[in-house]
Amino acid sequence: MLETAPPHAKEHQTDRFHGGLIGRQPTPPQDVSRLKKSKRDQGFHPGWLVAPATTWLIVFLVVPLIGIVVFSFWTPKSGGMTPDFSVANYVNFFAQEGFLDTDHRNFLKPSIFVTTLWTTFRFTFTVMIICLIIGYPIAYFLAMQVKNFKWQLALFLLAMVPFWTSYLIRAVAWLPMLGRRGLFNKMLQSLGIIDKPSSFFLYSEFGYTMALTQLYVVLCIGPIFFSLAKIDKAIIEAAKDMGATNFQVFREIILPLSLPGVAIGMIFLFVMLMGEFATAVVVYGGKTSTTGTVILNYYAIANYPFSAVNAIMLMLAMMIGVVFILRIVDIRKEL
Amino acid sequence: MTTLTKPTMHETRTGLSRRRFVLTAAGSAAAGATLGAPAIVYAAETIRTIGLGVSIINEIQSRASKDTKLRVRGQALGYGALFGKMLNQNSTYEITEGYFNDMDVMIPSKAWQPIDTKRIKNWDKISNLCKTGALTPGSSKGQGDAPFRHLWLNKDGSRASGPSQYVSMVPTFHNADSLGYNPEETKRKIESWAELFSADFKGRVALLNVPQIGTMDAAMGVEAMGLMKFGDKGDMTKAEIDKLVGFLIQKKKEGHFRAFWETFGQSVNLMVSGEVALQSMWSPAVTAVKAEGVPCVYAAPKEGMRGWHGGMAISSKVTGKKLDAAYEYINWWLNGWAGAFVARQGYYMSNFNEVKPHLSGEEWDFWYGGKAAAKELSDPFGTPIVRKGEVRDGGSYEQRFKNIAVWNSLMKENNYLVKRWTEFLSA
Repeated sequence: MLETAPPHAKEHQTDRFHGGLIGRQPTPPQDVSRLKKSKRDQGFHPGWLVAPATTWLIVFLVVPLIGIVVFSFWTPKSGGMTPDFSVANYVNFFAQEGFLDTDHRNFLKPSIFVTTLWTTFRFTFTVMIICLIIGYPIAYFLAMQVKNFKWQLALFLLAMVPFWTSYLIRAVAWLPMLGRRGLFNKMLQSLGIIDKPSSFFLYSEFGYTMALTQLYVVLCIGPIFFSLAKIDKAIIEAAKDMGATNFQVFREIILPLSLPGVAIGMIFLFVMLMGEFATAVVVYGGKTSTTGTVILNYYAIANYPFSAVNAIMLMLAMMIGVVFILRIVDIRKEL
Repeated sequence: MTTLTKPTMHETRTGLSRRRFVLTAAGSAAAGATLGAPAIVYAAETIRTIGLGVSIINEIQSRASKDTKLRVRGQALGYGALFGKMLNQNSTYEITEGYFNDMDVMIPSKAWQPIDTKRIKNWDKISNLCKTGALTPGSSKGQGDAPFRHLWLNKDGSRASGPSQYVSMVPTFHNADSLGYNPEETKRKIESWAELFSADFKGRVALLNVPQIGTMDAAMGVEAMGLMKFGDKGDMTKAEIDKLVGFLIQKKKEGHFRAFWETFGQSVNLMVSGEVALQSMWSPAVTAVKAEGVPCVYAAPKEGMRGWHGGMAISSKVTGKKLDAAYEYINWWLNGWAGAFVARQGYYMSNFNEVKPHLSGEEWDFWYGGKAAAKELSDPFGTPIVRKGEVRDGGSYEQRFKNIAVWNSLMKENNYLVKRWTEFLSA
């Protein structure tokens, strides 16, 4: 139909229909070839535009990554490694002494490195859920409740304020809050709720989870806010006109349309949290191991192959996580 | 004009050096020029030195540049980064301000060259603590990587069985660590490593989170409690590591540990903020806690302290003029000024008699003599840190170093140790 319809008919057709999510689009000129620009107007060849970034990525990402993979198969020796191919590092990552020995206490017990990766994932997952529970309503408020664009922007920037200071300062700031002589303890003591300072808040799983949430929640507020702000208010109005309740509007329209933002936010959080090691030292007092700290510890004793194995496993876990999130939400389609 | 007339150490050793030639030439060419001119044409060698924050301090390397006319560029690194760099990138430095506990890796790697003691001006002034292991006759030599066990080399860089002309590093700054505590919290004097695991301090104890050193402190504790006896705490067997870590895991599950610290600043914060009552600690950290107005005592456990010893090593890539310059920098370290600088932070120097003229009588008596401060004393940057009448914890230099229980070490079972330590932290 489109092919046979004259130009004016097509224009008329778009007029008749609702502009849709992204509003009315300009009609493309019919004869594109006539308007083909001269070579000079086209600017640089795309190859030149991607060359700097590609070179940078190859030199500083791909090559080192290949190095890490190769080193992970080398044999560690006292203070370095020798290029003898071996899968022993991988075996050591998964299994421990007595793994296949039915009588051994370690029979089929995964090694500490697998457990550590699992612990790292567990914390990551918990914090992601908490960030979502806290972050989504904030983003919703900013995008849906604040009508004035200036206020929206101002409040969004306000949510970003913690990012203006360094990561370490934000982490260290929890110490005077949660410590034995910190604000929390002082407050609870003066209210008569506890009679002596509690060690519960700092250097505990509670404090660690809380600090991670505060440190990273902004990473998911941003993308969710943007995808919520993009939703055409006319659709919501239309749904209400047709008798949808607020909950139905949220479930049928807002939630599905905001999922790409949620997915992007979750990917940010997942990748950052899996690689986390500094907060565990500062706020958890080093009382847990993350795969990040394992990599550092083996690097410090120059066992580079084993550090490399841990790095690869961490990277694989991250990839699986990202792919999993993308399987739930098809970002390309939704965007 | 003193720079022109007074030959430097470097020049006296090598006769008419290139530098002197350049100087003379420049002197005649630039006759009548300003005083600053010779400094510009002075073909100064650049010395790149790497180390920890203990010895890589702007003031030290600037002073060395000024005194020697070398261009000394220091780079302070964290322990892991330093280890990697000194081992794998010996073309990126001339000098490493390293530690004797790394020698089991560094000597076989040949990343450093043997140092000819004949070229070290104050070699005979360096104390026997490093040469024989006994500061005074009858002193305890201590288990683990004591400097004298890793000092002597043959000319080809292999280990020598006894004293020789060549050494792996020129021994310099060192100290002995033990426990730091807040007497108001412990309510008693701490005199044994066993107190580290006393139920009285449950939940108020911190350990150093460096597997190699943390296990040694813990080993001192369980040995003092009579729970275990180690063959060599500086080189534990797998069975010993297992038993020790098993004990630590049990203690951790009971909630005995408040935290594990990794940096100097963290250990200070833990004490200042009242989180811990007792912890393994470095001597200057105790000074820093006191500077914050929080009472802190450095224990002198009856079992002895845990020692560590630093030194100056030269990369095996360094030859010719650069090598002369490297020796010049090491000799500068031994002339006493740098020793006095680090003394004001609580560290000791291997040739302490050269340090003495660079400290005031009161400073010497306090830092080395273990006597009460006759007046208020300052750190090297001029901040007052010692009040009049204060006594340095741990006693005199001799008292500390004649009773070293164990030296910081690199164990053969290092990989296993790190694995078990990871299990301990995750428990």
